[in-house]
Amino acid sequence: MQEYRMELAMDHVPQYPLLGKLMKPGTLKPLLMALGVAGVVASIGTPSIAAAADAPRRPNIVVILGDDLGFADMGAFGSEIKTPNLDSLAQEGVRFANFYTHASCSPTRSIFLTGVDTHLNGLGNMDEWTAPNQWGVDGYEGYLNNRVATLPQLLKGAGYHTYMVGKWHLGKAPAQIPAARGFERDFSLLDGASSYWDAMNFTAASPRSVFTEDGRYLTKLPDNYYATKTYTDKLIDFIDANRGDGKPFFAYVAHQAPHDPFHLPKEWRSRHVGEYDKGWDAVREARLKRQIELGIMPAGTQLAERMWFIPDPIVLAPAPRALLGKKMELYAGMVENLDFHVGRLIDHLKAIGEYENTIFVVFGDNGAEGTDLFKMIAGTPGTRDYLFAAINWSQTHPNAWGDPGSYVGYGPMWAQVSMTPFSQYKGWLAEGGIRNALIVSGPAVKRPKGSINQGVMHVADLMPTLLEIAGASYPAAINGQPVPALMGKSWGKVLAGQAESPRTETDYIGWEIFGNRAVRQGDWKLRWEYKPLGKGDWELFNLAADPAERKDLAAERPDKLKDLIALWGAYVRTNRVVLPSRSPYEALDDQLPKRVPVEAGFPPLIYKRQFVPPADLLTDPAP
Amino acid sequence: MKQVTERMAGAAWRRLVPVMAIAMSALVTLPTMAQVPGRFYWKTLDGGNAVPLIVNSISGNTNPFDPAHVVVPGASFDATVALTGYAHTFSVFDRSAMAAILLPMGRVSGDVTVAGRTFNQSADGFGDPMLEFDINILGPKAQKNLADVLRYEPGFSVDLLADLALPIGEYHNDQPLNLGQNRWYGRVGMPVVWQLGSWVPGQRTTLELLPAVWLFGNNTDYLGQTLKTDPMFQLDAHLTRDFTDRFWGAIDASWYSGGQASINGVAGEKLNNLGVGLTLGYQINDSLNLTFGYKSTVNDNAPGDLRMNGFMLSLVYGWHPLIEGSRRLKSE
Repeated sequence: MQEYRMELAMDHVPQYPLLGKLMKPGTLKPLLMALGVAGVVASIGTPSIAAAADAPRRPNIVVILGDDLGFADMGAFGSEIKTPNLDSLAQEGVRFANFYTHASCSPTRSIFLTGVDTHLNGLGNMDEWTAPNQWGVDGYEGYLNNRVATLPQLLKGAGYHTYMVGKWHLGKAPAQIPAARGFERDFSLLDGASSYWDAMNFTAASPRSVFTEDGRYLTKLPDNYYATKTYTDKLIDFIDANRGDGKPFFAYVAHQAPHDPFHLPKEWRSRHVGEYDKGWDAVREARLKRQIELGIMPAGTQLAERMWFIPDPIVLAPAPRALLGKKMELYAGMVENLDFHVGRLIDHLKAIGEYENTIFVVFGDNGAEGTDLFKMIAGTPGTRDYLFAAINWSQTHPNAWGDPGSYVGYGPMWAQVSMTPFSQYKGWLAEGGIRNALIVSGPAVKRPKGSINQGVMHVADLMPTLLEIAGASYPAAINGQPVPALMGKSWGKVLAGQAESPRTETDYIGWEIFGNRAVRQGDWKLRWEYKPLGKGDWELFNLAADPAERKDLAAERPDKLKDLIALWGAYVRTNRVVLPSRSPYEALDDQLPKRVPVEAGFPPLIYKRQFVPPADLLTDPAP
Repeated sequence: MKQVTERMAGAAWRRLVPVMAIAMSALVTLPTMAQVPGRFYWKTLDGGNAVPLIVNSISGNTNPFDPAHVVVPGASFDATVALTGYAHTFSVFDRSAMAAILLPMGRVSGDVTVAGRTFNQSADGFGDPMLEFDINILGPKAQKNLADVLRYEPGFSVDLLADLALPIGEYHNDQPLNLGQNRWYGRVGMPVVWQLGSWVPGQRTTLELLPAVWLFGNNTDYLGQTLKTDPMFQLDAHLTRDFTDRFWGAIDASWYSGGQASINGVAGEKLNNLGVGLTLGYQINDSLNLTFGYKSTVNDNAPGDLRMNGFMLSLVYGWHPLIEGSRRLKSE
């Protein structure tokens, strides 16, 4: 495992120059107790959040990541899915309704863990889709490269215990795994997805998922393994194992759930039977209504148009409704099971007296999954992966959904529900691909409990924010090499209630993945996407007026278009963006039906009912 | 949109049609040997239809056409029996129900003892048609559409069953061996299907019970005498298990008790017999289901014990207008 030589701008813990030297295992707690340091260090010379925390010692940090969890999937964000534990964090903390991630998982995770743009940190493209012209190019390694510092490395250096459970997806080689990138304890799935019941993966070439525990590769999984449960169990064990030394901890809880396949215990599968038979449109409408009532979305928000290749549920017969509804039932069960295990963690922290001193950060890593991954992998008869699936993933009967060997995703129709009210989903740069729900709670939050903030936030902000909370600094260099500048902005003032957004009107955020690209500055968003979800050209949206990106203003606002294209150019230069020569979406325009507008009530034909003549005009045929 | 809906619909049919066919096999009863194969009382979609063809080859010391199983000590019967009919599923107050009419036919021959004299006799023709009505009283609600079929799992299901035989089968009052019984008789029972584990093709396991009581009218013209038979209790049990999505097997057992027959007041033996068997079932296609089974009594060494064994081959064709129409559209 590679050891990193950190060259911090000051010491490991700049505000407390002695603390770093004291932070040897077993030495901190007695010293702190003897010297009464804990209270002192929390209040001297700390940045605004740490000072505001007013806690006896630095807070624990728990970051809970839902894999493919949608913007609208938690109760606190308008969902009918029951998430009381996540909602409780929202009620005690603050919700952010303008929070951005990247459009797919490993890029978002790489930004979270480094605070650096994907094109610099090694995830300029997903490892699985690196284009030929990106091969060998710095920033496109497909794993976190050695030129970036990681959040756990810095927090560990600052005296935190650092724990990770769940999905890593940022490299499998010994120098790339969680233990090598700063996690002191881990139980990690290195792959991007897996069975929840065992180590079965999806392709013939890579049939086994790879797990690590504390830096060692596992030869088998623990008894009674179920991903969400086991990850939670492991984390609780990690926390308890070190609880006696008084050091705070940073826990990265990177749940697989609710990423497909929707594997879940039987008792969680039948909590919403028939509830989704009404179809995606009705559920989207209900969620938007609640979002407006809650204040998540402004009054007057319109739903994004249904994707043109998804039918109006009114045309569906009962069986397809039930089949498709059952997929959403399972998804809801996945989210509720995730919430349950989050509740176990919360309860445990309360039981050991750590809850009040713990900052929780909850978000999903990208838009909900609207692509049929299983079909993409194993959908072609005669291929090796089809054969592999026939043997290992062919439990296709609805009653087997959730069992080992079943692979259920819920499709673009329900992904749009998860991303209510936005357009599109994971992999794409419409708001449905990149905007996500964010909850922050704990001692750093001084905003009114249960409040909702509309500031423009980005996952890259977490690095400076959490370093600030921990009283740590971002290094100038590692391994003798300067590290890339942080792209995010601390939320210190926002959490303290002193600002509504960490960004000014001139700050911007850029994205590029799979050749799709976007920039947001203030209320404006520039977007280029492959056809047919995009136009293969620049589109311009005013997100304040049109969060669902229904109206392209590129023709109406050439001035704004030009400004944002210039920002895009700056983003490319700053981050050394290499647009991919190949993309998973390059042929999509030939695979999907021709795009047509979707307008409510059209065609009237499908809404016509049997005509019933007035009873007094009924008659039998004349003889 | 068409692609999406076709994919949805395709998935639905692929899953549901086999369910139809399998369940259709449950729509027939088998008076012969008074036992039906496992999985007879699984439920299916309202409006379904089935035509069974069941062929039995039976040997024993009782007339297999007589559900009272009057034992003739020392006798030996051989019978080839076929059964066909029609069954239809519907719902009554949201409960699954089924009505069927079944017609036995075939030939039987064997040694018959009358007034201490034994002679060989044979009979052939049609037996007594039987009407059957079954309604579920505990368990999932009726399956009124394919969505309900999709969600069907029997869990612990209990039905009420009533059979009534019409005494119009082939009967000759001058011979003891007949296909028709020349009397009203019938059965009331409570079929139970108890799901054990997952309800997934390839994994389904059930324990099925059929406690029932057979009731018999008098045959007042049995060789010029009156044949009376006491009520007979029957308990059938099947432990069924899928081997693959389409192939299943069962261990069968049945117990008979009572059914004491008397002729002009001279009583015979009460039955108290246990039979065991094996069944294998295979779903040939979406509409056609095949089973093959063998049954034999086990406590049958004493001269007065019921002794029967037989092979059974059943072929059940099931259809539903919805599925037939879909098939036509698919082949368009």
